[in-house]
Amino acid sequence: MNSRVNSFIAWAAANSFLLALISGVFLAFPFRVEMPLISTVGIEGVLPFGDFVRGLHFYTGQLAFLFLLLHIVYSLRARSFERKSWFSWSLLVATFPLTVFALFSGYVVRNDEIGSSAGHIAESLLLEVPLIGNFLNHLLMAVSKEGVHRVYAAHFCISFLLFIGLCGWHFNLKRLKIWDLVYVALVAMILTVFYPPLLRPFEPDLSVLGPWFFVGIQELLRHLPPFWAGVVFPSIPVAALWAYKKYSKLAGIILVAWHVFYFFLSLVGFSR
Amino acid sequence: MKKLLVFLGVILLAFMLFKELKRKRAPQVFTTTSGRVEMCLACHDEAPEKVHAREVVGCSPCHLGNPLRMEKDLAHAGMIKNPGDLRVVEKTCGRPECHPQMPGKVKKSLMATNRGIINVLLRYWGEIPEDAKNRPEDSVEYLLKTGKNSLALDYYRKLCGSCHLWMEKGKLPDFLAEKGGGCVACHLVKGPKEAKHPVLTRKIPLENCVRCHNRSGRIGLTYQGLYEDEGYGTPYLEGDFGAETLIDGRFVRRIPADVHYKAGLVCVDCHISEETMGDGKAYNHFEESVEITCRSCHGGKGITRKGRKIPRVKKEGGKWILEGIFTGKKHELKPPDPIKCEHTVHKRLSCQACHSPRVPQCFGCHVRYDPREKQLDKLTNRETPGAWEEFRSYMRLEEPTLGVKGDEVVIIVPG
Repeated sequence: MNSRVNSFIAWAAANSFLLALISGVFLAFPFRVEMPLISTVGIEGVLPFGDFVRGLHFYTGQLAFLFLLLHIVYSLRARSFERKSWFSWSLLVATFPLTVFALFSGYVVRNDEIGSSAGHIAESLLLEVPLIGNFLNHLLMAVSKEGVHRVYAAHFCISFLLFIGLCGWHFNLKRLKIWDLVYVALVAMILTVFYPPLLRPFEPDLSVLGPWFFVGIQELLRHLPPFWAGVVFPSIPVAALWAYKKYSKLAGIILVAWHVFYFFLSLVGFSR
Repeated sequence: MKKLLVFLGVILLAFMLFKELKRKRAPQVFTTTSGRVEMCLACHDEAPEKVHAREVVGCSPCHLGNPLRMEKDLAHAGMIKNPGDLRVVEKTCGRPECHPQMPGKVKKSLMATNRGIINVLLRYWGEIPEDAKNRPEDSVEYLLKTGKNSLALDYYRKLCGSCHLWMEKGKLPDFLAEKGGGCVACHLVKGPKEAKHPVLTRKIPLENCVRCHNRSGRIGLTYQGLYEDEGYGTPYLEGDFGAETLIDGRFVRRIPADVHYKAGLVCVDCHISEETMGDGKAYNHFEESVEITCRSCHGGKGITRKGRKIPRVKKEGGKWILEGIFTGKKHELKPPDPIKCEHTVHKRLSCQACHSPRVPQCFGCHVRYDPREKQLDKLTNRETPGAWEEFRSYMRLEEPTLGVKGDEVVIIVPG
C-alpha cells in the first residue's frame, strides 16, 4: 500500500471487502438463485443468525464502497497515481465501476422490490450502450429473461476476481492487520444490530427507489433519454478519474462538479 | 483500545446470541399460491372468506406492513387495520391486481362526498349563492383536508358528519363507532368466531345500509316497517316503554313493512353498484345518482333509467324475474296494471303517489344552536365550541301530500 495515502482508510476498504466476501460465502450456501427472494427471506427469517450474517454482508459491502470513495479522494490529493504507469492506472480506474457493479448486483440478486426494479432499469440501460449493449446485458444482467441467474454469477465472480486481482497487484494481504479487520467488523455489527437492512416488499404505488447510490441516475432518467442519463452521465466520473493522471485540474473540477450535481439529483430523488 | 474493541465485540456477540435465542424463527418461508412471500402467515391464523383466502391473498396486500420480516415490530411497520379506509384504499382494495377501478369511483360517489347535504346546507343558510352547484369544495374530503368551517359547515360536522365513507371505522364513540370505514362500511359482516376475521361480501345486508340510511327520509326504517316515533315510549305497557328503541335511543313503532321487504329483498337486490359506489361522475344530489325506478323491474326488462342492466333481473320461461340475493328466491316481476297504471288519467302519476299509502312526516323539526356549549366535531373527533340540538315534533304517519315536480305527480314529504 502506498505510504502517501491514508493507510487506515485504504485498509478499511480492503477489510470491508474481505468481510463482505467471507459473509457472502456463508450466504451463498442457503441462497437459491431460482427463487432469490424466497431464499433471502428464508435466510433472514428461518436460519439461525441468518439475518445477522446478511446484515454483515450488506453493511461490509456498503463500507467497502464508501471507504473506497474516501481512498480515491485521499489518493488523488496525495497524487499517488504519479508513480503508476498508464496501464496500471487504467486497470485501477477500471476496478471502480466493477466495485460499483459488485455492490449494485448485490441489490439485484435479492430480488425484492428495490432489487427487481433496479435490475430491470439496469438491463434497459445496458441495452442502450452502443455496439456491445446486448452482449453486456447477456453477460451481466438479462433479468427479464433469466431472472437473477446471470447477475448472481456476475456478482459472485466479479467480487472474487476483483479481490484476487487487487490482492495481487494493489495491496498485500499479508500486511492486513487483524485489529483493522475487527474494527470494520464491529462497525458493521453495530449497524446490523441497530439498523437491520430491510427487504422492501412489492407495493403497488410505483414509488420505488433504487439503491441509494442509484437514486441520482433514477432522477436524471426522468429528465434525459436513457442513453444520456444512464450511460453517458455515469461514465463521466470514470473518464475524469482516468484522465486525472494527465489533466488533474480539469478532471478534478469535473469530478467535484459531477458529485455535487449527483448529490443534488439524489436529494431531489429522495424527496419525491 | 484493543481491549475496548474486544469488549465491545463480546458484548455485541452476546447480544446477538441473546436476541437469537429469544426470537421466534419461522419453520419455513410462507408463500401464497402465486409464490409471493407472506411471512405474516407464520404467526397469524386468521382466515378470511374464500374470495380473500389467506393462502391466495395473504395478509399484506390488504393490511400492508412488511411481509418479508418475522420480527413483529418490523413486520407491522406501516400496517393498517382497515384496508377499506379511503385514505389508503389505492394501496389495498384498489391495488392494480384487485379492484383498481373502484377507489376513483367511490371517492366521487355521494356516500363519500356528501356533496348534496353540504351544498344544500350552505345554500339554505345563505353562505353560497342559490345557483352554486358542482362545487368540488362541497365534499367531506375537502373539509377533512382544509379544516374549513362556517356555521352551516359546523352544523354538518356535528350533526351529519358521521355518515360518510371517509369516516374512520371505530373512531367515534358508542354506536357511531360502527359507521364508516370506506369499502367495509358496506362490505363487512361478522365472520365465524373460529375464523378470527370478518367476512367481506357482495351480499350487503340491510343493516349495513340502515346504519346510515335511517334519518331524514328514514327510508331504511320505513322499508323494514319501523316508524320513528316522536315520543317518549308512551303509552307505557306493563311498566315499561311501549315502543322499541333504535341503537341511538330513538323510539320506533312497528308499521306494515314494504312489500319488497316482506318478500325477503334487501337494498342491493334492486340498487346497482353504479348507484351505491358511483359511476365515476360527481353528482350533486342522490336523485341524480339513483338509477333504478319502479318501472326498471316492473315492465322495464331490468334496465335502469341510465340504460344499465340490473344484475339480478332476468327473463326465465318467458317471464321477468328477480332472484333474491339472500334468499335465492325467484320473484316474478309483474308489469304495471294495464288499466289502473296505464290509464290516460293516471299517466302523470308516479308509482309512489298511489303505492305509498302512509309516509312518515315531520312537521315540527327545528334546530337550536348554543355557542356556549361544546360538541363533538364528527370529522375531526374533537370537541369544538358551539352545540347543535335537533328537535322533532308533530311527527305523523299519514297519507302524503301530492305535488307536481316537473310534469310528474309525486309525493311531497316534510322532514
